[in-house]
Amino acid sequence: MSDVALRGVHKAFGENQIVRGVDLEVRAGEFTVLVGPSGCGKTTLLRLIAGLESPDRGDILIGGQRVNDAPPRERGVGMVFQSYALYPHMTVRENLAFALRLRATAPAALAQRVAEVAEMLELGPLLERKPKQLSGGQRQRVAIGRAIARRPSVFLFDEPLSNLDAALRVQMRGELARLHQRLGSTMIYVTHDQVEAMTLATRLAVFNQGKLQQHGAPLELYRKPANRFVASFLGSPGMNFLRGRAQGGRLTGVGFSLQLPPAQSALEGRELLAGVRPQALALRAADEPLDAAACAIRGEIEAIERLGTEGFAYLKTAAGPLVARFEGGGAELVVGANAQLAIPPSATLLFDAQSEEACH
Amino acid sequence: MSWRNCLSVGLAALAMLIAPARAADMPAAATAPERLLVWHAYRAAEERALLQLLAQFNASQSRYRAEALALPYDVYASKLTAAIPSGHGPDLFLFSQERVAVWARAGLLAPLDADGAELAAGFPAASLEALRSAGHLYGLPLSLKCDALYYNRALISTPPSTSDELEREARRLTLASEGRYGLAYEANDFFHHAAWLHGYGGGVFIEPGHRAQLDSSAAVSALEFVRRLALEDQVIPEEPSGTLVAQLFNAGHAAMVINGPWFAGEVQGIDYGIAPLPRITSTGLLAAPLLTVEAALVSARSPVQDGARALARYLVSTEGAAVRARVGRQVVATRSAYALADIGSDPLLSVFREAAEHAVPMDNTPAMLPVWEPEKRALVAALTGAASPKDALAQAQRRLLATTRAAPPSRSPWPYLAAAALLLLGGLAVARRRAPQSNARVQYIARELWRAAAYCAPAATSILVLVLVPFAVGLGLSFFHHDSGHYTFVGLANFIDILASRDYRISEPMSFWFTLAVTLLWTAVNVALHVSIGLGLALLLRDPLLRFKGIYRVLLIIPWAIPNYITALVWKGMFHRQYGAISALFTALHLQPISWFTSFSTAFAANVITNTWLGFPFMMVVALGALQSIPQDLYEAAEVDGASRWAQFRHITLPLLKPALLPAIILGAVWTFNMFNIVYLVSGGEPGGSTDILVSEAYRWAFQRNEQFGFAAAYSTLIFLFLLGWSALSRRLAREPSAGAA
Repeated sequence: MSDVALRGVHKAFGENQIVRGVDLEVRAGEFTVLVGPSGCGKTTLLRLIAGLESPDRGDILIGGQRVNDAPPRERGVGMVFQSYALYPHMTVRENLAFALRLRATAPAALAQRVAEVAEMLELGPLLERKPKQLSGGQRQRVAIGRAIARRPSVFLFDEPLSNLDAALRVQMRGELARLHQRLGSTMIYVTHDQVEAMTLATRLAVFNQGKLQQHGAPLELYRKPANRFVASFLGSPGMNFLRGRAQGGRLTGVGFSLQLPPAQSALEGRELLAGVRPQALALRAADEPLDAAACAIRGEIEAIERLGTEGFAYLKTAAGPLVARFEGGGAELVVGANAQLAIPPSATLLFDAQSEEACH
Repeated sequence: MSWRNCLSVGLAALAMLIAPARAADMPAAATAPERLLVWHAYRAAEERALLQLLAQFNASQSRYRAEALALPYDVYASKLTAAIPSGHGPDLFLFSQERVAVWARAGLLAPLDADGAELAAGFPAASLEALRSAGHLYGLPLSLKCDALYYNRALISTPPSTSDELEREARRLTLASEGRYGLAYEANDFFHHAAWLHGYGGGVFIEPGHRAQLDSSAAVSALEFVRRLALEDQVIPEEPSGTLVAQLFNAGHAAMVINGPWFAGEVQGIDYGIAPLPRITSTGLLAAPLLTVEAALVSARSPVQDGARALARYLVSTEGAAVRARVGRQVVATRSAYALADIGSDPLLSVFREAAEHAVPMDNTPAMLPVWEPEKRALVAALTGAASPKDALAQAQRRLLATTRAAPPSRSPWPYLAAAALLLLGGLAVARRRAPQSNARVQYIARELWRAAAYCAPAATSILVLVLVPFAVGLGLSFFHHDSGHYTFVGLANFIDILASRDYRISEPMSFWFTLAVTLLWTAVNVALHVSIGLGLALLLRDPLLRFKGIYRVLLIIPWAIPNYITALVWKGMFHRQYGAISALFTALHLQPISWFTSFSTAFAANVITNTWLGFPFMMVVALGALQSIPQDLYEAAEVDGASRWAQFRHITLPLLKPALLPAIILGAVWTFNMFNIVYLVSGGEPGGSTDILVSEAYRWAFQRNEQFGFAAAYSTLIFLFLLGWSALSRRLAREPSAGAA
């Protein structure tokens, strides 16, 4: 296993600048997830690491070696494609063995390796089938197996779960996590699904419009997002934002007034955004008395999502639309009813209204 | 409407139709003239002359009224053969002596002995001889065609009168390096060569028995003479075609040309003279050319034979001949016409007439038809130095004997019909057993079926008429032997003769097995080249970064878009040893130009080059389409797996192309197997018939070797069976679990 480093990498396709000056360090053995909305350049970055594209500027290093000019086969990477890209005219066994055959591996060693991989991914009974005779999940495992068979130093995954149904996706997520534990290899994983990102990653890298927004452990990004984008990208439903001005230790805006933490005197007079996750907002009945310290916002319930043991209520308030989580079945909630939200000041994250950078 | 009503309406209609017809028959003021229908294949000046004469004939008498009908030349003979017996043909028709014997025997011609006796002195003897068969005269000679010697007055002041003089003059005026030749003529055509044969005292047929003898000592001497002219003196250009001869003469590069009166129309800007062909020095005999006579022939089934004969006599009268000579520029056979000043002194007409007086009439029996092909092969072989004249002519004689083989014994068709009926019944029984249907279901299907049948009917009818009926006729024909319009049932004799390869050794070009081997080689080489070049170009065109892709694609489709016989003729011209573009290219590269058609390997290569040029676009287009259906990420996965470009091609491109390429290859193989145009037009089977493939051999058997239609049909049936086997086999090979793209 090797580490991967990207230094000042730029890539444009025609007029479009897809990757704008990315610096990223992936440590050996880490499961790094590159996440971001569509078009943010994460797949391009993966292909740059694989060697399927070359950067316009900057360096790519694998295991400390600069590999800009090296073709994919010399980089020691294994890649799992979004569409699996299994060779349709070969059996599963031949698919797994392909890379080894190209390296003129001895037949005995080849057969043994194929058997190992098949056992690892439970592909034993499928070895003589052709890809079109496999289900989606089975194909995906074959694609992973094909990448594993070569013992690459870096694994690259390009949205491998996006073609699977929800239940299968959850199952495969677990299997990937277990695989990483077993092999301990460096894995770089691209997805647009932040749930996958949060659950699989050792370290998470969030991208937007070709730029790296933040890089770190998932919980760190979740709790201390570096900017508004990261804050709203992670977590579902997204974070609520309240816009106001800091005055006299309080953040005041339309329809609300929030107590600021004492240490934030430097923010006096600035336009700020206060971010609160729906999970932190308490949903109360309109007439319920609240703690004086809490900031209360009134509003009307526009929509209710009931998920069984919890749910989300969407309110229209003077401070804008807000989402709040509630426990239980939410049977007592009614669309159109008035309610109030209590915002605990300790749970808010502050961002500069202009730069959208975090202030905490 | 009740049937009684129908009947009365019908009778009334009939009465109304008959009445005017009867009225037409009633004698009016005078009897209407009887119609004389005249068929001809004339155009331009000759047609004008004929029409003028018919008008004059009609004006001069009121008993008959002549009408002309012009027919296209290529279907003229077959239309005559079909129309006359059925009574719908002409009363008088103008044709050469070619088929007089056949038509006379079939009773289609009215004998004109009486008129001939009266007019005999007025025509050259040879011209009347040409129109005789079994002792009777069947036509009155209109015009004469034979060879004479054209010479360029700027290079030759007096035309040679002996063969030695001819040789000397020709050598004097030949400078091959500048493309100047002393004597340019189509030396490979027996029609022009015949004069030398007669000059050396030989002839095509020996009596009694009227057998063709091609390897007589006179024939050998004549051929040796021409070989000397061509190969030692080198006064004759190589591969002389009619076009080349005309071009050389018009450019002033050919001092002498041997050709017929039609050549005068092709000469431009040269002051030329015409003289009869010289005498052969060693024998003292005139080099008497072959004479073809165009005659007026009377249909034996005509109801107005008297009128037709009167018209014929008018056409050959002095007056008629004068019009034909002046307006139509014909070399008329009527001697008295040459007494007229302008005609007698016309350089073209008078010289050819004189030549015709000494010419030998071309044989008018079917025995002449199979002589042309072997003679041509012998001429080509001897004049290119591939064989000695003696060997070439011996080979020609063997060929002739093989093609005019005796008919197989006739057999009774009943055993075969019984066998066919049994097969049919057996087939039905098997089909019946395979698909048992309940009665009700069968009835249901039958009821619904007519609707489906109605929709299919137009297409089914076309297929039936255009494909199945000719196929069935051909299949049936292969069990018969054809001889001058008579078909005799001979069972499987044709097939046995072909497969057993009697009359010639298996390794000889005319053997079925030799031709089969050549055809297989031809198919394999071509398909291999088509696929590799087509696939290679498709791979190049697939590169997304390639500019001007649209232009390349159009350019590369052009070979396929051009009609392939044009392609064949163009390439044939390019392969010409002296004047072809390819030889020019060789010379520019300081290489020795090749004589492409004198050896099997080079002639075969010439055919292959031409066919590959026109065949690769098809494979290219198929491959391009199939390549575009291979997903790009397969290549990326392979690249990551460590595959080089070549490994990607071998392991991904090729296997995934197979489902598309395989049908294309099967199709291409069948088309190439039957590619008649290229083989017939480019190499023409040279040398010696060795590059002929099965389908061109079948053609020759039908149309160049005594009209052996049954034999040729048997050939075609064998080709069909072979290709049927090939299709079945290749379909089985292709039937692996197909590899659709994931």
